[in-house]
Amino acid sequence: MVSTDDIAAIFDTSSKKLTELGFSDFVLSLNSRDRSQLRFADNQFTVAKNWLEVSLSVFAVKHNKTVGFTVNDLRLEAIEKVIKNVDVLAKALPSNPNFLGISEGPFSYPVIDQILDPAFDDFTDKAVDLVQGAINKAESEGVKRSAGVLYWEKEANYLTSSNGANGSYMATSYEFTIRSFVDSKSSGQGVSVGRLASTMDFEKAGEEAGQIAKMSVGGENGKPGKYNVILSPTVAADIIAATPGAANPFYIEIGFSWLKDKLGEQIGPEFLSVYDDALLPNALGSRPFDDEGHPTGRNPIIENGIFKGMIHNTSTAKKAGTTSTGNAGIIAPQNSNIYFEQGDHSFEELMELCKGKPTLYITSNWYTRFTSYVDGIFSTIPRDGMFLIENGEISKPVRELRISDNMLNIFKNIKALGKELQQIKWWEVYTPTFIPAVLIEDVNITAATS
Amino acid sequence: MTVPVDWLEKAIEEGNKLGVSYIEARYVRKSVNTTLLKNGIPEIGAIDRGSGIGIRVLKNGGMGFASFNELNKENMEKAVNFAVKMAEATGEKRKRKIVFSEEEVNEAKYSALGEKGKRPEEVDPEEKLKRLMNLDKIITEVKTGAMIPFRFFQTQDETETKMLITSEGTRIESEIDRIHLFGILTAVNPATGRKEQMMIQKGKAGGYESFDYWNIEEYFEQQAKLLSKIVTEAKPAPKGTIDYVVGPNVIGIMCHENQGHPSEGDRILGREGAQAGESYLNKEMLGQKIGSEHVNIVDDPTLPGSYGYYLYDDEGVKARPRYLQKEGVFYEMLHNRESAAFMETKSTGAARAVNFDREPIPRMANTYLEPGDYTKEELIEDVKLGVLMYNFTEWNIDDRRYQSKYVGLEAYLIENGEIKHRVARPVIEITTPKLWSSVDAVGKKELLEFDAATCGKGEPMQGVPVYHGGSFMRIREVLVR
Repeated sequence: MVSTDDIAAIFDTSSKKLTELGFSDFVLSLNSRDRSQLRFADNQFTVAKNWLEVSLSVFAVKHNKTVGFTVNDLRLEAIEKVIKNVDVLAKALPSNPNFLGISEGPFSYPVIDQILDPAFDDFTDKAVDLVQGAINKAESEGVKRSAGVLYWEKEANYLTSSNGANGSYMATSYEFTIRSFVDSKSSGQGVSVGRLASTMDFEKAGEEAGQIAKMSVGGENGKPGKYNVILSPTVAADIIAATPGAANPFYIEIGFSWLKDKLGEQIGPEFLSVYDDALLPNALGSRPFDDEGHPTGRNPIIENGIFKGMIHNTSTAKKAGTTSTGNAGIIAPQNSNIYFEQGDHSFEELMELCKGKPTLYITSNWYTRFTSYVDGIFSTIPRDGMFLIENGEISKPVRELRISDNMLNIFKNIKALGKELQQIKWWEVYTPTFIPAVLIEDVNITAATS
Repeated sequence: MTVPVDWLEKAIEEGNKLGVSYIEARYVRKSVNTTLLKNGIPEIGAIDRGSGIGIRVLKNGGMGFASFNELNKENMEKAVNFAVKMAEATGEKRKRKIVFSEEEVNEAKYSALGEKGKRPEEVDPEEKLKRLMNLDKIITEVKTGAMIPFRFFQTQDETETKMLITSEGTRIESEIDRIHLFGILTAVNPATGRKEQMMIQKGKAGGYESFDYWNIEEYFEQQAKLLSKIVTEAKPAPKGTIDYVVGPNVIGIMCHENQGHPSEGDRILGREGAQAGESYLNKEMLGQKIGSEHVNIVDDPTLPGSYGYYLYDDEGVKARPRYLQKEGVFYEMLHNRESAAFMETKSTGAARAVNFDREPIPRMANTYLEPGDYTKEELIEDVKLGVLMYNFTEWNIDDRRYQSKYVGLEAYLIENGEIKHRVARPVIEITTPKLWSSVDAVGKKELLEFDAATCGKGEPMQGVPVYHGGSFMRIREVLVR
């Protein structure tokens, strides 16, 4: 970790150099992290890793020309050299009419509960046994082998800006995924993520992975057609949370979002409300300030099914005639945690609602790709256990199907939400998302024709 | 700035002192320059300067990896100690110990640099920007029947300097320049509101002479006209059992997804099971027929100027072309030294790590279908009902690489051996065995083309530069619902 004196010197030297060269606005962010990983496959540890990383990221503006740099050689002369390079770059650029300023401080920042846990100071020796416990648990459910990963991390973040923002925070985190196999086609996945060691439940993740894998044994190829679909929180965090994730003005401007001109419209059912919430305790995306040093908060994206608002930095907010939501990234606004308000149905009740209709329960998915982002046309592939639901209960495992539909359709067709929220982040889901199981009507399911 | 060889040697020494059976130290420095253009406006010019050392060790049958970017004794010792300690602790629990395949010890130095005056750091930022902004101008000024209101481009140039030293005596030093251009265009038919999107990816080892090699201005004009025609003219695609003639872009992605990934040794062993997945292929299937005799798929890192170019992999193994499928037979896998040892064979020189802070794992480089003898006309002339599909938009494949989907962008109806009107979004949703066994003819070498892509795999994610390509091929009797 970098010392406080070193950080002060880096910020001071960088600020002076940028000011001397005529940069009027700038934000300096220094991140230092000690991150470790334990990977396993076939019930055995495959590799243990550690990363000691420190880097300085800078966003700077000169005559309304916007430049940025990241450097991990933090010797003062090395930083000064890169600043000279970005000055040359700034001279080459025309003015950026999309830049409308960075947030004006000074600020006081929210205190977020449960983002730092001293238990991670001394965690390496415990990691092997904790992961082994999850592998054993999955094995006790009857699986042959498990693969997965555990990350644990301590990070420190420091920020200062030309406009009076000054802040720092420290945080810890863990991310655990386990995927268990009875055979190559019968698998299940479990996820456990958070910021406090006391909230780890790897054995539960192992148990879930093992149970789904076991239940999926003997699955036959499913038939294409229209189905009601119950998505696990893992799948919902990918394809249902994609819609609030598309409420980003940068994505809309480049044609990467299906929400253009839909602000104020009813895009989902009335019982659905979704927030970008950077203040959630024990949540991986929580942070007190954004990349401009603006304080973060809880911002509505969808309320009662109506598209209420987007995430913003200072520039996108001014352009839209509103104020920053504290979601600045270096280039584009970025989500913190996407938070779905829970519904009131148990999983059994969700299945009960599907009586008389062909219904699938999909536990995991990957490889979501688009024919058209602007229209929301996409497909994604279920993986791990997938089940037919008949007469209100799971009847048999099925395989080899694909969801091929439209993001706006599936969001509009949400029929019910489960009452248990789960925090999801894994290889396929980058934005930490709190979401329950979701029931959707009339989803288009396709399959390879031969 | 020179390579800090002393720190690499100190790390090897430290590992040897701690009794490792193998240790490697790999230094990587990347100098990256990026420009983003959003609807004609430069959103940001960015510079990324990063360097550091990655350490990988084997001890007690376990593997440890650690990296650090501040080069000092404390960090070096901490990294080596973590890697050794965790290799030992995890190795103790392994039933099957990790070892590396025996390979030749190599010492080499090579480079792939841009032409004089065209290297990333030699070209003036203003010149780079002007050329990029001109591409946007071309798109907006070309006369078509459609509008292209959403345009996003990113150019990235990089110089990557590497040095690998191992406890076995391998020393490989390299320097590679790369250029990458990414774009997404959205065309709208003003009369109907119909929209179509196109992704553009160009990449190459080398400098800014690549823009001339691609005839980039002409290429952008063609793509704008093409997208506009699709959004204004394309009619519904045919259904039923039809033939497909697919072009280099579609063959390339099929070679990559339906043959390259399932041939990766670590996937076959289950090491990527919780991330990129496993494979429908296995060791016992080597030598078995998995496609028609017309299918020859090669992965060759040594193609000069290619986006996936390297001469020695990140374990110091000499690169060579690999036949993944030869005359329809599953011929060989993509191995690093770990997966090769588990399969009791030799590495195929496929170990790649995208930076100093990533471990080398089996990856593709430049994957393509070897050309055959047919002209495009010959491929089409006896198709009664089919689709000629030049390129794709949406695609995906399951994590065993068994059932895949490709949606076409530029595509035409073929009727009684003749190319007719454009068709919209034709779909091929097909299993891998059906795909390769249904190929009955392949286009000649004059039709061979490559596209650049970034291949994602690993945990943490490692996006590596690759080429994929082919000429044209005919796929018989595909059922379209």
